[in-house]
Amino acid sequence: MKAAVAKNNTGKSKLWKPPIVGIVAFLLMLFAIALGHTFMVLVEHWIGQDDIYVASIFIGAASIVLLWYGVKSRNENFQTWVGFIAGLMVWMTWIEFFYMFYGRMNWGMVPRMDGPDGLRVSGTYPEYMVMGATVGLLMMMLVFYTFDKDTRCNMFLWFQKVLGLREGLGPSTKKASDRNYAIITFMETILVLWFCYTVNLLCFDPGLVGTGDLFFAVNMATVFVSFVWSGYCFFARLIWFRRVSTALRYAIAVGNIFWMGIVEVGTKWRLWTEIWVQPWNYKIEMSVVLGAFLVLILLLIFAPKKPSELGMERQS
Amino acid sequence: MNRFIKSLLLPASLTLLSTIASADKLMLPPGMGGVPDIGAIPCDVFNKMIVVGPLGTKRLLLTWAEGYYHAKTGKTFDEILQDAETAGQSWDFDSLTGHFVDYCAADPEAHTAAAVVDLGERLLNISR
Repeated sequence: MKAAVAKNNTGKSKLWKPPIVGIVAFLLMLFAIALGHTFMVLVEHWIGQDDIYVASIFIGAASIVLLWYGVKSRNENFQTWVGFIAGLMVWMTWIEFFYMFYGRMNWGMVPRMDGPDGLRVSGTYPEYMVMGATVGLLMMMLVFYTFDKDTRCNMFLWFQKVLGLREGLGPSTKKASDRNYAIITFMETILVLWFCYTVNLLCFDPGLVGTGDLFFAVNMATVFVSFVWSGYCFFARLIWFRRVSTALRYAIAVGNIFWMGIVEVGTKWRLWTEIWVQPWNYKIEMSVVLGAFLVLILLLIFAPKKPSELGMERQS
Repeated sequence: MNRFIKSLLLPASLTLLSTIASADKLMLPPGMGGVPDIGAIPCDVFNKMIVVGPLGTKRLLLTWAEGYYHAKTGKTFDEILQDAETAGQSWDFDSLTGHFVDYCAADPEAHTAAAVVDLGERLLNISR
């Protein structure tokens, strides 16, 4: 496989050059987020609310075993895929389903109600109320990465530049070959999901922004920021990537920021129907999304890779 | 450029904080007198609430029911259950709240108050 890909890696591919790699990675990420929602709903439906909490312990543990394989590998592309999949699975099981257990079953919370007479079950289920309360913990993690001199995340590097930290922190002690992309992608996936969920939850929280003009203004600001932010990252950086692994890692953030501001806020304003959380009502549509997602994955798996992505340079 | 961004950061943060602090007070639905009217929840809404908040929703309605039964009989809920047990009826949290769930599932048009009254007819007749 490695030899075949390397043989194919002439750098003369007419297809795998900018902007195709970035666009495919971005679309893949949007489909992955939609299908992640679908997976959650289907697993809960099939396994049942009582059993899913037990099952989620083991699904999460299996994801950590997968991550272990990724961390042991020297293939950056494999590490990236494994980190992303393990991060997504751990988020859904050890975080979302555990919050669901505590909110719905252990603490006996009721969902937040909305509507003019307060008699409509809103999308803020107990697990999301618990998640909203983790904002302080999230901020603490963001502070860590802001002050971490070894971070390569462009956002934190920009923070460090704006805050005048570069000189104080000194040069990074790690080279690219020192980095294990499985654990980096794993943490990136979890932190990006955590950040985007929390922003949405705070902006939708009637206890913080009410339900009137401030709610509208804050959510319009979210749409604007996420449109500009994801647009800048997409057009100025993502579409120029040549390396599949780098594009995939970058697309995790770009796709989720886009989803947070455009898709989630639009759903809240009832501009469209969340077909990804009602797969039984939209079987054909979601089958098409799943098919497209699988095709995009195959495209990225078989895309020509640079030797550095396959660990060839790192081994030597 | 950096100086410009830095000079904007503090005012922007303070503005954001002040807008959050001045957020509208959470409005209670009209006619609720300050607290949610549990008995006015339609059964079809209760049926949806049960899915995403099974324990909390049941507990909410049972607590409301305990107040209602106390007002009707002047007895605490434990006393009412004791009377029922003496008369050969055995109730626990699951069977009490299960009665509400079954009632609402069978009649989504009704209100939760009707489910509470229906359970009360079984319990309170013994206890009077």
